[in-house]
Amino acid sequence: MNARPDWFPRALAILLVLTLLTPLFGWAAGAVGYAEPLENAAEATGAADSAEAVGIALMPDYAVAGLGTAPGTVVAAVVGTALTLVVAGAIGRLLGTEPNAE
Amino acid sequence: MHIPDGYVDITIAVLFGALSVAILGLAARRVGRRVPESRAPLLGVVAAGIFAAQMLNWPIPGGTSAHFVGGAFAAILLGPHLGALCVATVVTIQALVFGDGGLVVLGANVFNMAIVEVYVGYGFYRLLAPYGEYRAAFVAGWLGITAGALTAGLQLGLSSAFEYQLLTTLSIMGVGHLVLGLIEGAITAVVYRFLAEARPDLQPTAAAEVSPS
Repeated sequence: MNARPDWFPRALAILLVLTLLTPLFGWAAGAVGYAEPLENAAEATGAADSAEAVGIALMPDYAVAGLGTAPGTVVAAVVGTALTLVVAGAIGRLLGTEPNAE
Repeated sequence: MHIPDGYVDITIAVLFGALSVAILGLAARRVGRRVPESRAPLLGVVAAGIFAAQMLNWPIPGGTSAHFVGGAFAAILLGPHLGALCVATVVTIQALVFGDGGLVVLGANVFNMAIVEVYVGYGFYRLLAPYGEYRAAFVAGWLGITAGALTAGLQLGLSSAFEYQLLTTLSIMGVGHLVLGLIEGAITAVVYRFLAEARPDLQPTAAAEVSPS
């Protein structure tokens, strides 16, 4: 049941390309001083120091302990993308599929 | 747009957490038993694609930037209810595994990105699709992320860490994402157009999904 559709291998290839691009975008974001409106709002109101890190995260800030920035980012991207693929796919099946629902 | 712990008061976090649980519960009931077999892997791939795309920060020199959130995109491709569950999965994994967005405030982040952006974006898409599907996708991405940013600004501005400066948080979040949202809209429209032309069989069957059960 739940046979993979024919587009699935191509989709996986696209996902792999996206994950391999993450170190490049990470480097570029650092180079231009990336800041989101949320950070600007925190700076403007003096809230920036109130942020607390999530203690239980396995790969905080999309980094892997012992690995450099670029390889760590790639590993985090691959792990996160694969985990999301599996969990979301499982949710889709858990919700209950019908062969002829479409 | 991922709010860390410590930014939002606990009462606000609990309120929006409860709202998110209730709305996602309704969404799950609306799609339950009506997810076509082909849509389960599509849900996984769209969620994974959004996760990966959210790691690609737009490197805009010398200014405020953001990354693709994908709420409207998920809604257009999967339908709003499955889209909400899709983005909620992404936001939850980001918080639990990568510490991107807080745990106490997870419900608020889900509300902004997986509920407001998804349903507002989808609303604009349905409203404008008769005048051009891809233009509608652009507006959906653009105004969907802006709406999500406004609810984030509301949560922040009603919290003590931001000294209850609601006008400041709403204006910075709203105006910032109104401008940055143009990129979200462009990505939403371009990727949707690519998928629609490459694989018309993946076109949404959302009309069926939103009809009364």
